[in-house]
Amino acid sequence: MTPISHLYLHVPFCPTICPYCDFHVVRRQAGWVEAYLKRLLEEAGQLAGLWPLELETIYLGGGTPSFLRDRELAALVEGLRAAVGWAGEVTLEVNPGTVSRARAELWRELGFTRASLGIQSLDDQVLRFLGRTHSSRAAREAASYLRQAGLRLSADLITAVPSQRLEREVASYLELDLEHLSAYSLTVEEGTEFARRGVEVAEEDEREAFYRTEELLAEGGLLRYEISNYARPGAESRHNLGYWTNAFYAALGPSAAGHYPSERPGELAQRRTAATLEGWLRGEGGEVLPVSPAQYASDAAFMGLRLERGIDLRALGGRTGLDLLGSWPQLLRRPLEGGLLELQGGQLRATRDGWWVLNQLVTPLVEWSAG
Amino acid sequence: MNPPDIRNFSIVAHVDHGKSTLADRILELLGAMGERDRRDQALDTLELERERGITIKSTPVRLVYHRGDRAYVFNLIDTPGHVDFHYEVSRSLAACEGVLLLIDASQGVEAQTIVNAYLALEHDLTIVPVINKIDLPAADPAAAAQQLEEVLGIPAEEALLASGKTGAGVPELLEAIVDRIPPPGGDPSAPAKALIFDSFYDSYQGVVLLVRLLEGSLSPGDRILLMASGKDFELTRVGVFDPKPVPASGLQAGEVGWIAAGIRDIHDAQVGDTVTLLTRPTQQPFPGFEPAQPVVFSGLYPTDSEDYRRLREALERLKLNDAALVFEPETSLALGFGFRCGFLGLLHAEVVQERLEREFDLDLIATAPVVVYRLLLSDGRELYTQNPADFPSRDRIDLIEEPYIRLQVILPGEYVGPVMQLLQERRGQIRNLQYLGRRVELSYEVPFAEIFYDFHDRLKSLTRGYASMDYTQIGYRPGDLAKVDILVNGELVDALAVIAHQDKAYALGRKIVDKMAEVIPRQLFAVPIQAAIGGKILARATVKPYRKDVLAKCYGGDVTRKKKLLEKQKKGKARMKSIGTVEIPQEAFLAVLSQPD
Ligand SMILES: Nc1nc2c(ncn2[C@@H]2O[C@H](COP(=O)(O)OP(=O)(O)OP(=O)(O)O)[C@@H](O)[C@H]2O)c(=O)[nH]1
Ligand code: SF4
Ligand SMILES: [Mg+2]
Repeated sequence: MTPISHLYLHVPFCPTICPYCDFHVVRRQAGWVEAYLKRLLEEAGQLAGLWPLELETIYLGGGTPSFLRDRELAALVEGLRAAVGWAGEVTLEVNPGTVSRARAELWRELGFTRASLGIQSLDDQVLRFLGRTHSSRAAREAASYLRQAGLRLSADLITAVPSQRLEREVASYLELDLEHLSAYSLTVEEGTEFARRGVEVAEEDEREAFYRTEELLAEGGLLRYEISNYARPGAESRHNLGYWTNAFYAALGPSAAGHYPSERPGELAQRRTAATLEGWLRGEGGEVLPVSPAQYASDAAFMGLRLERGIDLRALGGRTGLDLLGSWPQLLRRPLEGGLLELQGGQLRATRDGWWVLNQLVTPLVEWSAG
Repeated sequence: MNPPDIRNFSIVAHVDHGKSTLADRILELLGAMGERDRRDQALDTLELERERGITIKSTPVRLVYHRGDRAYVFNLIDTPGHVDFHYEVSRSLAACEGVLLLIDASQGVEAQTIVNAYLALEHDLTIVPVINKIDLPAADPAAAAQQLEEVLGIPAEEALLASGKTGAGVPELLEAIVDRIPPPGGDPSAPAKALIFDSFYDSYQGVVLLVRLLEGSLSPGDRILLMASGKDFELTRVGVFDPKPVPASGLQAGEVGWIAAGIRDIHDAQVGDTVTLLTRPTQQPFPGFEPAQPVVFSGLYPTDSEDYRRLREALERLKLNDAALVFEPETSLALGFGFRCGFLGLLHAEVVQERLEREFDLDLIATAPVVVYRLLLSDGRELYTQNPADFPSRDRIDLIEEPYIRLQVILPGEYVGPVMQLLQERRGQIRNLQYLGRRVELSYEVPFAEIFYDFHDRLKSLTRGYASMDYTQIGYRPGDLAKVDILVNGELVDALAVIAHQDKAYALGRKIVDKMAEVIPRQLFAVPIQAAIGGKILARATVKPYRKDVLAKCYGGDVTRKKKLLEKQKKGKARMKSIGTVEIPQEAFLAVLSQPD
């Protein structure tokens, strides 16, 4: 069985809940973190028994993992090392308000190699609009502490926010000397505070964010390698590349989703999603979805076409035992003819205009895999 | 009942001159209006007639009139006045010896007054002229009587004066019916001979036939023969109208009534056919009616394709009760399976659609009404078609001809200028202008396509309702016509092509492409919509490409969730039609197809 090389660990606690957030998060309550840690390490212990692990990357996401107290995080790291070992790239998701010089150094000592800093904006007005509690100054300080502690640094940027000035925003980010940046345009998800307030994103802002951000960042040496992700060459997130290449990854924590190899007949993989916090704490299992070879292929396209380089249909065909080079070009005729997709030497990639409507492009493949 | 004691007559008039209201007063006086069903225009029984306040169907009713110690039977038929239902009137007249020709005292002789008078004369019927609505302040009975004489050659002194509203003059009218309208002839002992002038379907009795007994008699138990269809049946019930069908013991020569014989296959019984006895047939069947000539065509499609069979059944049953309706199956790329239907006019088309929807519980889509064109092809053949999709390519057409009508408009003199201008815009050519006292009769030859849709409304609004019109088809004439093609992303869409006059093609093309661009949802790419004649583009519009549709974030946990979302998306695509690489929802076709030019 193919060994699993990536591990995602979900920390579901946040100090406050942001108005655009649709993740599974809760505010910290008495006793919950202890219970969480106990259950998490139990789960980690079982993991190694179930699947072969050869971890290259670990990612602690959330929520706000940096919101854990120092000794809680240390205990988590210690338990994790004992259960599943450690990896070459280990990322900690960090909220600017939780960073101090000392903590940055502690994280480095605990073995983290990389920090993903949830700045979102360096414009205080935009930050207020987004309901973030930190200031742009705190964000700059946090970035410098993390870099000085020797952590590789990535940051988040939210674009297409009403009243945001994109050029100024990007220029501020470039001053942080990042090696990696995730830039998302604001999406108003159903059920969020923004949706209730009727916040809308202007089509023109969205268009500018989509096309112009790339040009501005390229001038500063950050190249777009995925729809929303930019890096200096060689500094791409190996962990996230695992998702986009449809690799297998294990997941720990409430509502975390994993993708595991399977050798059952008709299955190439399984997707498993853990129960939400309360159920998970009681040891309840989550959802298990078998993944057929066709579904695996369509997942790979769904994720892989997000990458600048696209997907290798020959390799994917070999992996799934399906003649994708034979069948897919017909399914994708319209976008191929219209210049939204390109197929060269078996490599299928989406152009920028293709990325703009990628959901529409992959829908025929999702339908194909379901039927 | 002896034939000498029977009077069969129709009430005819221009639309709204008060036929149904006058019938109410007659019914009342003769005690046929029960307290229960007392309401205005009691003979307008269809829901649609009541809603619209117009008569659509001819309705017979049997009444008894006592004069001295003698009882007369009246078979009265209330007819519609609107030009689209002319065919109803003509068939009703075949069951009568006379007509009451009403003239609204405030309006005078109008276009349909003339048409109906001539129709009665053609049938050799006695005309009893009645100047009606004399209670109106604007009534001018003397002027109306004078027009009667001038326009129709009916002596002014023959006119009776009445008001259907107050009942004034109605007793005298009843006397005149007995005295002036001849009783039916016909030998009661001759072999039975009955003319079918209408029919309807009843779920218990099957096809019910409305008949006028010309000779002989019919009673339940008789073995009848339908002479044109050659089918025979046993009569189960016969009866008369009160105006609901009520059973009777038999029908005699000269009477009007209904018969039922458990006829289930509606093709066996046709309006215009003659009913006789199987064992003792009449020698000379009634010659039948001239079939109605549909002049306006439109496609009717079920909104739910599952309903196609029900629609066929409904059309067949409705045709029993609407002899002017014609239809044949048709398929449309955009709308699926349906029927191309022919009508006597736009109101007729609307009425058919509404009756199908109400009486048969269907949900229908109707395409824009069109006329029938005549094409002379370069190989010498000719082709009649209402469907632009059937047009051969331009180089194979020598000439396109369109139907023309002779249009009569009667209007007060002060409106002549604007109406003539309107008719000029509609490509009309004047043939005659005649003064009728203070009013003018205009006679024009004009393409029917310019008239049938909204001309009547425009005419009414230009003349504050004072103009009336009538027309007859006068055949085909060459027109400077062209087929306007619609292209979506460079591909021809047959279902959307239309025929237009050169001078109007541009505006029409513009309207269609704009509408399409508005109703087609955003696509993967910008999609050009073009209107063209031959290869020449007249107008162009663009369907915008999608707004951004991609997940900003997509990491491990998002896959399952987002895939489900995409699967949901595809459900909305079921009702799309693909034109080349463009997906067009059915609604978009509809928006264009159901919008008249
Ligand atoms: N003042 C007045 N109004 C009348 C008289 N007769 C009818 N009306 C009105 O004229 C309108 C038309 O009356 P109808 O009896 O429906 O006319 P119709 O000739 O049967 O109409 P169609 O069958 O549609 O051709 C109605 O609003 C009646 O109330 C009348 O004698 N006097
Ligand atoms: S910090 Fe992140 S996870 Fe927490 S509420 Fe805000 S957006 Fe959601
Ligand atoms: Mg009427």
